[in-house]
Amino acid sequence: MKSFFTPFILFLISSFLFPHLSFSDNSFVGSIKTIKGECMVITKETTRTAVAGERLLTGDILKTGPNGAMGVIFRDDTMLSLGPGSDLEIDEFVFSPSEGKLSMVTKMMKGTASYLSGKIVKLNPEGARMETPLATIGIRGTHFLVKVD
Amino acid sequence: MLKKLILLLLFPLLFSCSAKKDLFVLLEDPDGGVGKIVVKTKGGEQAVTKANFYTVVTDETAPPEEAGKMEDEEIKSVFGDAIDALPLKPVSYILYFKSDTIKLKRKSYNLLPEIIDTINKRKSTDTSVVGHADRAGSEKYNYALSKKRAESVANLLIKKGVDPDILEITSHGEENPLVPTKDNVHEPKNRRVEITVR
Repeated sequence: MKSFFTPFILFLISSFLFPHLSFSDNSFVGSIKTIKGECMVITKETTRTAVAGERLLTGDILKTGPNGAMGVIFRDDTMLSLGPGSDLEIDEFVFSPSEGKLSMVTKMMKGTASYLSGKIVKLNPEGARMETPLATIGIRGTHFLVKVD
Repeated sequence: MLKKLILLLLFPLLFSCSAKKDLFVLLEDPDGGVGKIVVKTKGGEQAVTKANFYTVVTDETAPPEEAGKMEDEEIKSVFGDAIDALPLKPVSYILYFKSDTIKLKRKSYNLLPEIIDTINKRKSTDTSVVGHADRAGSEKYNYALSKKRAESVANLLIKKGVDPDILEITSHGEENPLVPTKDNVHEPKNRRVEITVR
């Protein structure tokens, strides 16, 4: 009888000791703040017109039309904007300082971008990088521009 | 004749070489500092550490070109649309509490209307309410207290009409201090709730 309850008691004790293990919400990575012209969000399932205020998820691809531009603020305060004719994928975004998990990977496939790094880079200088077709950029901070032909 | 033929043959080759090009430019930070980027290829790496300096990659097997300077006008003509689309910087508010309680100090309580105004003006769909602790006392106790504080502030905002769906309530525990200290040091400035309106 005693041994039957042991795992439950251990579970109760551990959830009391490590409450942060049970809650870590990484459901969205940021939100779209500015939109100009035609902009799209491409997910694994659908392609939709981008709307200011909508939240973004890991794996989403942001796409701007020939006259489009858009700007995003990520949950760690990273700001990223795209000029016309751009494609960018949000490959990875983990912002959980209490667990020491801080990383961000974006893939710039074409076009122009302006990038202002946020708390991930501040707390973990090796934590953020951007990939382009030919190179990888280690982002130590803060403001830089990319153009991919 | 032969020369012409060679040129004709070389021309498309030159063209295809220049088709692929990645360009990276470092700018000054909004606060006036200058950061650093490190551009890496299979062939090597190049750091850019000065404002308006750039590096170019045209071949992923070769090292990036050494950093040169780009004129403001050229930056504007190439990147102007992207730069113009940058959102407004997030706004942060720091709220302090009466010692060891979840009660806001009066000055902090009086900030709430301004915070709500900012949320509405920016049509924020992502406002975080983050509890922070200092490094005095037990980490677990601090973590739990700072989380409770974040929750109580979020409840105040919701009572005053903020949509609960836009709020992200978390605790960073001791890991993201305003004033970095050694372990077990009291630092009232680190015992806070930070609201960031994005």
